Amino acid sequence: MGLLDKQFDNSNIVITSLDSLLNWARLSSLYQLQFGLACCAIEMMAASASNFDMMRFGVIPRATPRQVDVMIVSGTVTLKMASRIKKLFDQMAEPRYVISMGSCSNCGGPYWEHGYHVLKGVDRVIPVDVYVPGCPPRPEALIEGLMKLQEKVRNESLAKKKIA
Amino acid sequence: MTPQEIADKISARFAGVPGIGIEAKLDSPVDPYIKISPDHILDATKFLRDDEEMLFDFLSCLSGVDLKGRLAVVYQLFSMVKRHKITLKVEVPTDIPNVQSVESIWKTANWHEREAFDLYGITFIGHPDLRRILLPYDWEGHPLRKDYQVPEYYNGMKVPY
Amino acid sequence: MITDFGRILIFLLIGAVFTGGGLAASWVLRPRRPYPGKLSTYECGEEPIGGSWVKFNIRFYVVALIFLVFDVEVVFLFPWALVFKEFGMFAFIEMVVFLAILIVGYAYVWVKGDLDWDKPVPRVSRYVKGVGVVSDETADVNEHAAA
Repeated sequence: MGLLDKQFDNSNIVITSLDSLLNWARLSSLYQLQFGLACCAIEMMAASASNFDMMRFGVIPRATPRQVDVMIVSGTVTLKMASRIKKLFDQMAEPRYVISMGSCSNCGGPYWEHGYHVLKGVDRVIPVDVYVPGCPPRPEALIEGLMKLQEKVRNESLAKKKIA
Repeated sequence: MTPQEIADKISARFAGVPGIGIEAKLDSPVDPYIKISPDHILDATKFLRDDEEMLFDFLSCLSGVDLKGRLAVVYQLFSMVKRHKITLKVEVPTDIPNVQSVESIWKTANWHEREAFDLYGITFIGHPDLRRILLPYDWEGHPLRKDYQVPEYYNGMKVPY
Repeated sequence: MITDFGRILIFLLIGAVFTGGGLAASWVLRPRRPYPGKLSTYECGEEPIGGSWVKFNIRFYVVALIFLVFDVEVVFLFPWALVFKEFGMFAFIEMVVFLAILIVGYAYVWVKGDLDWDKPVPRVSRYVKGVGVVSDETADVNEHAAA
């Protein structure tokens, strides 16, 4: 059946209310796939710890891709790891988002020139929604990236987008 | 024991062996080292480990080096009991880089030699499980050599920036 | 009007409606976009090797079996506890006999070691003055098979 999969033609009061409800529910409980690869993982852990506390946004780390909404790729992505990242992203259930945290997963970072085994940016294998720059980004920067993702989720809609 | 004494002891022990190629460079600013030929490294290290006065029972590090035209393996030994250390060096030509494996002497050399093989292509004779350790198994080439070219694509992913 | 069993039936039906209704509602609402990558078995990002049915350790079976036996014993204790006051000393002695038989069984299981969860024996090293650290592990580590 998949009623939530359908795109409705015109948005009326029911659709917009439903949209608000669904989007609010989804952005308040973005479970994350704990995917720390390198130094950015330390900052991600710091963001989850008590001082900056990502959990108050509803972001709880889960170990399996089946139960998560967002994958925070933090750290250098090597070519060996890239195939695993692709597989894990495939195993996530929709609606799924990716936050690329740090220089290395944005664009290869400090290894862009001579890194023979570094994937220059995780967006070469999976689609990324939010890029958080920094080397490593401060926990507040990661939380701002999370809030940008929440903005993106808030603007989603079940109605078809009108092309003006 | 000072490096000079260690070098003297080794030279005395292997005095008559042909092709042993022992050269001691003891005034090196970084680490005094002893160069040994790659075919005799197994006997030399066994002697270093078992001799009562030297007892080098800990291999701190085994690394590869690319000197243009030759590949070298550097062994850094330490004795937990006697508290002295020494460095050994072995040089091989780049086209036939075969060195005897010291994995049977110190088990820690297992992974160190795999790394030297992975990054430099130095094959260790007698190693029980010589395969790549850091790079994926289907990687081509040995990256830390001076003449290495970064590949364009690996499994469909573009490698250069 | 409605018997006690009837009440239990209504209770069961409401429970079934609750769980079944929740499952049916989510089946109707949720999106369905399967593709082979998503349906593959999860093995930390690697290609799955072998089947996902693994052998359980035999200790779980032993502990569960012993638990089951004594749980049934407790089940027998409950109705006895409700009615034994009426029957006086006779019921008490009878239950003591029942428990005594089961306690003999319990003692047997305990002494035989069926309740132990195996713990590994640690290997410790000793320091001998003048020689150094002597232990089984470092002796093994640097030995090679062909002496």
